[in-house]
Amino acid sequence: MTRVEVRRGPLPITRRLLGEGFRGLIGWGLGLTAVALLYLPLFPSMQTPELQGLLDSLPPELIRTLGYENITSGSGYAQSTFFGLMGFVLLTIAGVSWAGEVTGGAEESGRLELTLAHGVGRTQYAMEAALAVLIKLCLLGALAWAVVWAIDSPAQLELDPGNLLAVVMSWVGLGLFSATAGFAGGALSGRRIVAVGAGAGVAVAGYALQAVANNSEDLEGLRAFSPYAWAFGEAPLAQGWDLPGLAALWLGSAALVAVGTVALSRRDILG
Amino acid sequence: MTPVIETRALSKRYGSHTALHDLDLVVDPGTVFGLVGPNGAGKTTTLRLLLDIIRPSSGTVRVLGTDPRAGGAALRRRIGFVPGELRLDGRISGRALLTHLAEISGPVAPGAIDALAERLGLELGRPVRTLSKGNKQKIGLVQAFMHRPPLLVLDEPTSGLDPLVQREFLTMVREARDDGQTVLLSSHVLSEIQQAADEVVVLAQGRIVARGSVESLRSASVRRLRAVVVGASADALTAALEGVPSATDIAVTPAPSADAVHVAATVRGEVDAVVRTLMTGRLLDLTVEEPDLEESILDLYTRTEAER
Repeated sequence: MTRVEVRRGPLPITRRLLGEGFRGLIGWGLGLTAVALLYLPLFPSMQTPELQGLLDSLPPELIRTLGYENITSGSGYAQSTFFGLMGFVLLTIAGVSWAGEVTGGAEESGRLELTLAHGVGRTQYAMEAALAVLIKLCLLGALAWAVVWAIDSPAQLELDPGNLLAVVMSWVGLGLFSATAGFAGGALSGRRIVAVGAGAGVAVAGYALQAVANNSEDLEGLRAFSPYAWAFGEAPLAQGWDLPGLAALWLGSAALVAVGTVALSRRDILG
Repeated sequence: MTPVIETRALSKRYGSHTALHDLDLVVDPGTVFGLVGPNGAGKTTTLRLLLDIIRPSSGTVRVLGTDPRAGGAALRRRIGFVPGELRLDGRISGRALLTHLAEISGPVAPGAIDALAERLGLELGRPVRTLSKGNKQKIGLVQAFMHRPPLLVLDEPTSGLDPLVQREFLTMVREARDDGQTVLLSSHVLSEIQQAADEVVVLAQGRIVARGSVESLRSASVRRLRAVVVGASADALTAALEGVPSATDIAVTPAPSADAVHVAATVRGEVDAVVRTLMTGRLLDLTVEEPDLEESILDLYTRTEAER
């Protein structure tokens, strides 16, 4: 029998969550890669007058709702099919489910009680758990950058690597915002279902708000309340870094983590 | 001598439901203290309050001289805790889980985890979710004992353990006490902890209904007595038993055979007087059932209520 050796290191909670979530992370990474490989290489074959004709024949409201205005450019295509659609959905689901797991899920399974009965404070747990979610989202972001950049030349997207980094930061920030909304919901309630509801609700509401705003000049102001618009409203893949949008996403996420952390440290842990 | 645990008027309310009423508890260092009561009596609530997993609605708690909330992580490193309902899931192996928990608890001596695992017959290599309830409970015990904390708080520690392991566990508790560690353990079955506890408090519906040594509780408890007596008339025996204050629910019925009579009675406290009365005839058979704790507690509870 091998002896159990205990080595103490920094961030024990983050390390455990990353260690246990490693397989899941690989799964999400494979999924994102598959989606990118499915959509992006189709770009050259879609550069046809027929497609332009088809797009022209569609109602402009639908085009704007789907965000397909710039789909004929490489950056517009990558934005509309990957970052703004399937990539957005996958990253949101991943981030929200992780946030639900480390808050309500851990509490419902009794794992949180066992952890907090040891030498770990509530604040420390919350911060380390949020850090684990952040690290996993950033790893998916790095992967997405690498995969899209690898496809760029064969798919004739003609993306700018700097702008690609800018959109990845917005994209990860958007996923993080929903995840931290879920984190706050889970930490406030102790229920996984509340975490998932809060995270998914923020994502869906954000998407819906900007879609409505895109179709009506009167309702354009709604965009200011949409995390989706903070991320992609200024088309970072085409235009480059959108610092106000990034600030709203990343600082908003930090605020949501703070809300969750304070909530968790103040209330009873459910059994 | 500063108590290891001291609570004053400790209460916990959930909305209109009061889980714990004005609990006053003092646990002295180097003792084994038992918290007994039926499910829902407030045992788990009490233990979770000590660990700062939940917070009191009113009253005060001091554990190892500190308020659990103020003591925080540093205080909990000096406590070993087995939760009441230990659920372990995930692909993680017992070894990896214990290594992680050792990282976040007080300092664990090299080899301590292996020694405890071997002692309890726990296999460390398997994923925890595949372990039986008993083996999960062993993981719970290992993580509570591994850093030799000054205080052990064990909520239903023997649940799911087979009798051999239970005996080993009781030895571990005695060794811990001999080393100066203090142990607080809860159970819904008195017999489970009667061999280990120096002092017992009985909780029912969130209140203390009895406290004292195991022996004193046992003598205050209710027993069912059954006997078969030859050579005494049913009427005479009934009359004699009705004169014994400790006996109630007396039923004396003639047996189908010969001149034997069947006697059934409930006895409070010592059985001596009842048995002596039965000895007026020849005692063919005698059964005294182990006190049923639930029943004893209900009995104590109604008496406590009546004294109010």
